[in-house]
Amino acid sequence: MVELIPILMFVVICLVLIIGYPVAFSLAGTALLFAAVGAVSGVFDAAFLAALPNRIFGTINNVTLIAVPLFVLMGIMLERSKVAEALLQNMAAVFGQMRGGLGVSVIVVGALLAASTGIVGATVVTMGLLSLPTMLRQGYSPALATGTISATGTLGQIIPPSIALVLLGDILSSSYQQAQLDMGIFSPKTVSVGDLFVGALIPGLLLVLAYISYLLVHAWLRPEDAPAIDKSLLPDTSTAEKLRSIAAPIFLIGLVLGSILFGVATPTEAAGVGALGATVLAWMHGALNRSVMADVARSTLNVTCMVFMILIGAAVFSLVFRGFGGEELIQGFFDAMPGGVMGATVVVMLAIFLLGFILDFIEITFVVVPIVAPILLAMGLDPVWLGVMIAINLQTSFLTPPFGFALFYLRGVAPDSVETSAMYRGVIPFIIIQVLMLVALAFWPQLATWLPQTIYQ
Amino acid sequence: MNSLATLCNAISTATGRALAWLVYAMMLISCLVVVLRYGFGISIIAMQESVTYLHACVFMLGAAYTLQQGEHVRVDILYRNFSTRRKALVDLTGTVLFLVPLCLYLLYASQDYVSNAWTVRETSVEKDGIPAVFLLKSLIPMMSILLLIQAIAEVVKNLLAMRNRG
Repeated sequence: MVELIPILMFVVICLVLIIGYPVAFSLAGTALLFAAVGAVSGVFDAAFLAALPNRIFGTINNVTLIAVPLFVLMGIMLERSKVAEALLQNMAAVFGQMRGGLGVSVIVVGALLAASTGIVGATVVTMGLLSLPTMLRQGYSPALATGTISATGTLGQIIPPSIALVLLGDILSSSYQQAQLDMGIFSPKTVSVGDLFVGALIPGLLLVLAYISYLLVHAWLRPEDAPAIDKSLLPDTSTAEKLRSIAAPIFLIGLVLGSILFGVATPTEAAGVGALGATVLAWMHGALNRSVMADVARSTLNVTCMVFMILIGAAVFSLVFRGFGGEELIQGFFDAMPGGVMGATVVVMLAIFLLGFILDFIEITFVVVPIVAPILLAMGLDPVWLGVMIAINLQTSFLTPPFGFALFYLRGVAPDSVETSAMYRGVIPFIIIQVLMLVALAFWPQLATWLPQTIYQ
Repeated sequence: MNSLATLCNAISTATGRALAWLVYAMMLISCLVVVLRYGFGISIIAMQESVTYLHACVFMLGAAYTLQQGEHVRVDILYRNFSTRRKALVDLTGTVLFLVPLCLYLLYASQDYVSNAWTVRETSVEKDGIPAVFLLKSLIPMMSILLLIQAIAEVVKNLLAMRNRG
């Protein structure tokens, strides 16, 4: 029975998390209680936990993770200084006169700017507040509007530069090392956050294109769902001003991505430059004063501490999980499973999809990925491909009714006139697009692996 | 008991608000590092490490402020529909059962780790790095203490919230 304690731990932690105490402390506290009971009854060796201070110090010393607060700073700065809002309004003014144009603007802005908070809920709420009232006022069908917003709000998570990818890349990087050491390879190949950024680029852009195509086709077939917008409601600005307000943030994101893509800067350095760029844009927008700066700084600190506290909580959890023999248990489970590496991947993807109903991106990255990724990678999977699959899979999970996170949060900010059933209907086409993307990636892994291999050869 | 909670809250607020400004310092220094390296071919290790120090201070010492602001993420599918009293019960139980033991354990577990670093005045592994790794390691017990201070405030707050509604 003792061998099954890791499973019990996992079940208990899921139950504890549902109650609603902060995730970071629930993870650590539950694990410590298990460790205490285990140590007293002699089935747990407390020496496993002694590595904890060193693990925390490893996080302190991790240069890659410095990208997290800097990308968060960039995103929150663009949002609070209303640069993002102006971008959306001006894009809508330029493209909105075409059928479906407003929806296309929402997709583009969401993909560009929704990336930096890392919490699905926060991104969807921001996008919802920013664009849902406008879309409804312009006569968009509630189903199409809410579907577009939930899909785009979650899409930002997997399009670089997003902190979700920074965290996932960091975990995959150490999982990849461990997998190769386990296989007896002592000069292991490495995978970096930059690799994952580059690998996620093509699938991410394909998703954006697929979303836009769907929206345009829908608008063409059923014009009443996505009408051209009413000119009298447009902001009264000159064309030059519109273009400037559109070009500047796109240039900034392009600069950040480009410098990573061409190997000029590490993601951490690019994040620093991106944060400064966002601050300059806020200043040009006339929104940079002491109170905005203080507000942005405090929000950045809160998101950062939230992320890193979960990292620490997950570290405690994984040490105890390992101390109870959890890794051997999972390894044995995979060994006994038929279907080889493909079967194992399908099972893991399914498990992650279901866990996505109760856990956010960060928790799954820190708790689940370190357990399963080394095993899958040791079976020969490409780390970049695995990372992109996990990211898109999770995004799909967040969209899927009735438990998807994105729908919950959007429900919270949508007016009562929008029926929940309309939201479910609206999101289905996007889920189909997501699933097609996952299938495409399964058949053509090159979609994710080609670009990083080509660039970094 | 109330004035103790007020004091604890004040400590968290003051540290959090002060630490928040460090994110701009991180931003500026990391940009300066980039400019010096790619523009002038200069790299100063101590300067790069200073970003690590700032980052560590922010995410280790800011955690208590984030707790006070209620910004540590929850799975709130059920929680958000709970009554005020029930929310307070969840938070009180979590604080006592999870948070406080975590902090106490971290204090206990980091004792030798940190005091060893102090004894040898542990320096950076890089030759020209910042010679203060012992301070960096001290952030672990410092974080625990700050979180414990805020935990006191949380306990008082939740006890009051539970008593208010009977």
